[in-house]
Amino acid sequence: MPREIAFYGTLMPGLLPVFVGCLLLMVLLDLLLGRIGLYRHVWHASLFRLALFVCLFGGAGLLLVR
Amino acid sequence: MAAVPAAVPTADRPWLRELLAGEAHAWLFVGKSVLAIYLGAWLAMWLQLEQPSTTMITVAIVMHPHSGMVLAKSFYRTIGTLVGSLVGLALMSAFPQQRELFLLSLSLWVALCAGGALRYRNFMAYGFVLAGYTAAIVALPAIANPYGVFDSAVMRVSEVLLGIGVSALVSELVLPERLRPILRREARAHFAKFLAFLRGSTAGRIPRQAMQDAQLASVRAAVQLEDLRSSVIFEDPEVRLRSRRMRLLNQRYMAAATSFQSLHHLINRLQRGGRDAAATALIALYRPLATALTPPAGHAGDDDLHALPPQLDACVRALPGRAAALRQDLSDAAACREFDTGAALLARLVDELAAFVATEHALRTGRPVKGGVEKVHFSRSSDLAGVGVAVLRTFLTMATLSVFWLASGWTFGANAMLLAAIFSGLMAASPNPVGSVLHTLVGYAAGMLGAAITVFALMPGGEGYTMLVASTLPLLLIGPYLATRDTLPGVGAGYTLGFVYILALKNPMVYAPEHFFNDAIAQLAGLGLSGAAFMLLPGLAGTGWQRRRQLRRLRALVWLAATEPLDGLLWRFESRGRDLLLQAVANTRPRSAESRTLLAWSLAVQETGRALLELRQDVAGGELPAIARDACEAAVRAVAALYRKPDLSAWEAADRAVDAAIALAPGRARNHLHQLRSALRDDESPLLAAVHAMPAQEPAHAS
Repeated sequence: MPREIAFYGTLMPGLLPVFVGCLLLMVLLDLLLGRIGLYRHVWHASLFRLALFVCLFGGAGLLLVR
Repeated sequence: MAAVPAAVPTADRPWLRELLAGEAHAWLFVGKSVLAIYLGAWLAMWLQLEQPSTTMITVAIVMHPHSGMVLAKSFYRTIGTLVGSLVGLALMSAFPQQRELFLLSLSLWVALCAGGALRYRNFMAYGFVLAGYTAAIVALPAIANPYGVFDSAVMRVSEVLLGIGVSALVSELVLPERLRPILRREARAHFAKFLAFLRGSTAGRIPRQAMQDAQLASVRAAVQLEDLRSSVIFEDPEVRLRSRRMRLLNQRYMAAATSFQSLHHLINRLQRGGRDAAATALIALYRPLATALTPPAGHAGDDDLHALPPQLDACVRALPGRAAALRQDLSDAAACREFDTGAALLARLVDELAAFVATEHALRTGRPVKGGVEKVHFSRSSDLAGVGVAVLRTFLTMATLSVFWLASGWTFGANAMLLAAIFSGLMAASPNPVGSVLHTLVGYAAGMLGAAITVFALMPGGEGYTMLVASTLPLLLIGPYLATRDTLPGVGAGYTLGFVYILALKNPMVYAPEHFFNDAIAQLAGLGLSGAAFMLLPGLAGTGWQRRRQLRRLRALVWLAATEPLDGLLWRFESRGRDLLLQAVANTRPRSAESRTLLAWSLAVQETGRALLELRQDVAGGELPAIARDACEAAVRAVAALYRKPDLSAWEAADRAVDAAIALAPGRARNHLHQLRSALRDDESPLLAAVHAMPAQEPAHAS
């Protein structure tokens, strides 16, 4: 993926679609993990969710955008 | 962050412990707010955004002691910001050279958003306010330089979204205070109270006053739980999963409460009418319900429900047998009919109670609800006239400011308009907008004073971000701390907002007293003008005109129950009635004559509407012969028309139609018709009073 994307003549960072994609993925994952009850066994659920999102976004960003 | 002096020996002084616990909560909120504000400002500077102050203002508006509220606000604010910035861009590109048209359409947009905020209460309202306000903050600063509007929009949106993100993260991650325990506690308390009321009522006769109080409590509970639920889903993925079940629980609760009231009105009417045999038999039939609702000895714990569903199921199964046995003791045919009507109602009540308790049990244990979960919605009801007034008021405020700005060439007119845009929207839904604006104005002025001291006495000479924090912190702290005091609503929020707004943090800071004071005057003028608009064009809340309108809308619910398609209608009917009643009652003094009238009407509407719904379901079931079906439909229409326009001729027509249908309809439908007739002839119901107060020949009003 390129560093910058032209969207109707506006330059946008290539990370933006990756971010939105990760957000959607996170919502799905959140539903799944909530359903199997993982969050009850985690000390700080919101911190865990944030960390999970950072891992997703960081990994995807590093892999996809160069 | 403030340290809590936990080591003080407090064991023997409970008041001290209470005070310290309260202070700890307050200071926790202060610490989190301040942390979020400075973190946001630092990030905005680090990212080289134009106005770090926008981020700080966003944080100041969004922060709330409970993280669920922050997330709910943030969610709607994000949507509002995106929509608002698009509208700002569109307006600017449509009228780049016509300031008059531009300001006119901007005023119109802000006014429509304020109306939307009143139409959709709760946090969705917030999204509307922000959509209006963001359009203003995106477009107004660029008015002199239309080419810069796109960059301005990108900057403002980035700053606002950064503020939202920071406040959401800080309130979620740093010692979060959850709404979920509150929701759980409230839900359990309401559940226990409702069951206790049911248990305590088995003696039969409940005075109207007690019934009305119970109705008000149950209505308040239903709406409050719905409000809490809609915030908690943002903070907790597990609650989100259960959200649908919680809605279902609330709906089943409302249905059971209505059936319960209907049954009691029926028994009370029988007792008043001297039909003691039927009433006594019904009370005897009703009594086992109390034992079914009592947890067995040894399981006295409030949280332990597992014994109740089987008990209720057994009660449901035993009901027909008991009813047959009791019916045999009744002598005449009329008493038998009355008994049948009551027994049918009781069967419905017990069924609904069983479903209600089973849902609550399933929620507490995390098991799925039997029979799947229907998709249900809490439907609300808003008065469009009030919305219209809010739109008009906001439009006039904004238009006045625009005209003044254009005519006088006031350099800071844009700032006054911004403030007016924020507060006309935010305050429109408040029950006492003038008071709220005044409180906020006082806080706002105090905040500006604090900022003036900070900017001109403390900040000069400071170097670096640490010094910036050190110099602004002491006076900023006051705002969030005041916000935690319930006795001063609005002052704390106004203080924080005024402080960070006038501080106008930039990188690098400039020392410009004349700009500071011009800006301060403009902002106070905008805020003051929005307050003046509330005085000149007060909202409709609490006026007699609005109360009459609300009453008419309450009665129109019967029309809704009689005419709309049946699918999902029960939930819409029940939730809308409660939402409407709560809005209406909120503007009357408790136990005043107006409030009693409203409650009495709401009880009558719920009983009749529900009976109509059940009757329509019988008709739709298709088991009735054609002639009986027609008679039932005619009766439904006649009763609905009566509630639309209660006068003597309509009452007589309804009474005749119901009588005619009773003569033709068999079984279940007949029980519902009997219930309808008994409600029509209820001498304590406000319906009869209204019918007799209004002569039959009065010309028809458009309603």
